[in-house]
Amino acid sequence: MKHPLLPLSETMHYILLSLKEPLHGYAIMQTVEEMSAGTVILAAGTLYGAVENLSKHGWIEPVPGETGRRKVYRITQDGERILEIERRRVEHLLSLYETRDLHEET
Amino acid sequence: MKKRRWFINLLKEEKWLNDRLAEGYACRRIGPLGGYTFEPSGRRMVMRLDYQDRMSAGKYEDYKMTYADFGWTLLKGSRWGSVQYWQKPADGRDEIFSDAGSLVAFYKRLTHYALTMACLFFIYICAVFNGRIFNAMFNIKASYLTDGLWEMEGSSFWRAFLFETPFAMLRFLPAWIFAICCLMCLYSYYQYYKLKKNYA
Repeated sequence: MKHPLLPLSETMHYILLSLKEPLHGYAIMQTVEEMSAGTVILAAGTLYGAVENLSKHGWIEPVPGETGRRKVYRITQDGERILEIERRRVEHLLSLYETRDLHEET
Repeated sequence: MKKRRWFINLLKEEKWLNDRLAEGYACRRIGPLGGYTFEPSGRRMVMRLDYQDRMSAGKYEDYKMTYADFGWTLLKGSRWGSVQYWQKPADGRDEIFSDAGSLVAFYKRLTHYALTMACLFFIYICAVFNGRIFNAMFNIKASYLTDGLWEMEGSSFWRAFLFETPFAMLRFLPAWIFAICCLMCLYSYYQYYKLKKNYA
């Protein structure tokens, strides 16, 4: 059966992509805002819940050895696998945007 | 300025609090029994209420840290399954949930919370009134324990009646108060449930 978090919501998608570099909570929000050109601005409760959810499924993990009070997260191998599945889905959708553009062909 | 209020519906409480803040106040303290302390504030403040189930000490630290980084100050809350009161100066980023998924999850937590409270009140009234809840609610005469009170006449009746009334009310009113609490919880449950359906 398909994983309940798939397809990824926009929030989860951006967070997973941002965590290809290790970041703590607030830095995730800043990175996502930048990556999305200001269209996705995560609020505190949404970010906390998403990070909780993603670590529960083992797609992200706290970076060991970080000594600050803020937990720093990064993507895991399972998370990378999920992104690969999502990449194929999005690429397929994109290809449909090309081939189903019937107006341009006529 | 101190105000005393009692809310069962968290969304109404949030609305009421923000109405006070819009009048130019900041909330300074929230007491355990519905006492809210406000002070005049030069900056426009906003409050948001969250509900979280019981969580470990470590997780609660992470939770508080995340909100604190976004500028929120915790006015009241605990990690033992409780409402969390957050306040911050208004700056246009004043929500704590930014997507439909987290809003649905929030309403889901609220419906569980309201249902749990309703069950607790129900168990409480059943235990305290030995299951004879309707007797406790509708037979007001049974709340008076003075022997032969209802056979007395004239001034001796009124003296005995008035003397016992405060004690009788202590026996009689809790049944009503808790039954009303129970209904209010179910009503909140229904309201949260409707909101949840809008987003899911």
